[in-house]
Amino acid sequence: MSQSERMIDIAGVHKTFVADHGTVTALEPVTITIKQGEFISIVGPSGCGKSTLLRLISGLDHASGGTITLDTAGRKRPVGFVFQEPVLLPWKTILENVRFPLDTAGVSRAEADKVALDLIKMVGLVGFEKALPRQLSGGMRQRAAIARSLSDDPPILLMDEPFSAVDLMTRDTLNDELLRIWQSTGKTILLVTHSVDEAAYLADRVMVMTARPGKLKCVHDVDLSRPRGEDTKLDPAYHALVAQLRRDLRTPGVVHGERAH
Amino acid sequence: MIRRFTAWIDYALALAVLLGAWWFATGPMAMPTYLLPSPLRTWNALAGIAMSGELWVHLGFTVQNIVLGLILGLVAGIALAYVMTRFPKLAIWVDGPLVILQTAPKIALAPLFVVWFGFGILSKIILIFSLVFFPVFIGAVAGFRTLDPKMKDLSKLLGLGHIQRFRQIELPSAMPEIFVGLKIGAVQALVGAVLAEWMSGKLGLGYLMTYAGATYKTPLLFAAVLLTVVLGLLMHVVLTMLENRLLSWKGAKR
Repeated sequence: MSQSERMIDIAGVHKTFVADHGTVTALEPVTITIKQGEFISIVGPSGCGKSTLLRLISGLDHASGGTITLDTAGRKRPVGFVFQEPVLLPWKTILENVRFPLDTAGVSRAEADKVALDLIKMVGLVGFEKALPRQLSGGMRQRAAIARSLSDDPPILLMDEPFSAVDLMTRDTLNDELLRIWQSTGKTILLVTHSVDEAAYLADRVMVMTARPGKLKCVHDVDLSRPRGEDTKLDPAYHALVAQLRRDLRTPGVVHGERAH
Repeated sequence: MIRRFTAWIDYALALAVLLGAWWFATGPMAMPTYLLPSPLRTWNALAGIAMSGELWVHLGFTVQNIVLGLILGLVAGIALAYVMTRFPKLAIWVDGPLVILQTAPKIALAPLFVVWFGFGILSKIILIFSLVFFPVFIGAVAGFRTLDPKMKDLSKLLGLGHIQRFRQIELPSAMPEIFVGLKIGAVQALVGAVLAEWMSGKLGLGYLMTYAGATYKTPLLFAAVLLTVVLGLLMHVVLTMLENRLLSWKGAKR
């Protein structure tokens, strides 16, 4: 961890659920340290505990054991969270939705409006401030959700398959925008995805997880130059990494029937 | 806009046909006034009590009772529904008595309310309240129970307090279901108000009806009946306007 600051310290964190037929291990002990400003992708099949890990980091769920330390200096809301669905409040306009974390934190209207309008500009929703969520497309709603998660300026951004519900073309665009936002804000981002391409394209490091029981299998460093773009997708190193990730996920005895792609 | 306009024309036409039939029955068909007073006589009876000021006293009393009963029933229905969804253990205890109270015909309880709460306004408001409470309560329970779990995650992430969570997330998202209950409750409230006035007291549209009936003032009786119909329509219009305003985010209405 030389000069870079540790942002998230995960030490032996695991999670078990009590079900009708005994206990189910959702996540075997995971240990990893994430640096400030790092972009981490987490890939794995369904049931590998990747969403669980994100929920544990966000504090939405409590770990059965181990510790998670966030270097966020006692902030009330250290993480922004982008869910698979946008989870916007349907009775509020886009501006009100983006402003919602600020409104509920007691920030003055003028200041909140300024921050929210800047973010709306950043995610490319100018002109839709007064629109209701139902008037927007899925991709646009997800942009609004990203803007909302950034509005009270959390140092950490957790994203749980944020683009899985949008079409492929929109997804590519959103990925590039996410990189741009990451570069301009310097957030520490953890992104859960089913797509190994997406994982490799975006991240500094890719965590590969396997299912039943959910565990962290390995972590790959992504040595691709930044900023990334269409050229990255032509880079042999990128293809080598994607192939490697696929092999990791397909290792016999680990993934049955269900393939991550 | 044009659609709305044609709808108004339809209403007006239907009303005109009705009025025409009414006039025909009393004019050319010569129905006796004590059975069916003519539109003109009814109008005169209405204008008479409007001029003397009597009308406004009775109308005001009924409207006041309905509004008070509606507000109390709405608040109590939402409050109990919220408490019960927040504390499911409590729901187990309260469910039984609630079902009994809910299925008991409130109209049958009305005389009991008079015995308990007197001939005044209290027994009337309690009857209206009991009629409004249950539909609102049932709607609100449905609304609160179907809250998207992701919304719960969101409020937890943002560390919202109880009041913030209720005002900003839980209440607005339960609003469509609460409104369904409120609209049913409003119809019931009018029934309850008129019925309560039939039974006791010397005020209200219901009282006006019993008085007119007992003294064979059929035109006045007709006027009072028509007034309650108009009042019911008016309540429907006000509630629909409120609904369109509060629930415009739902998109497709009705």
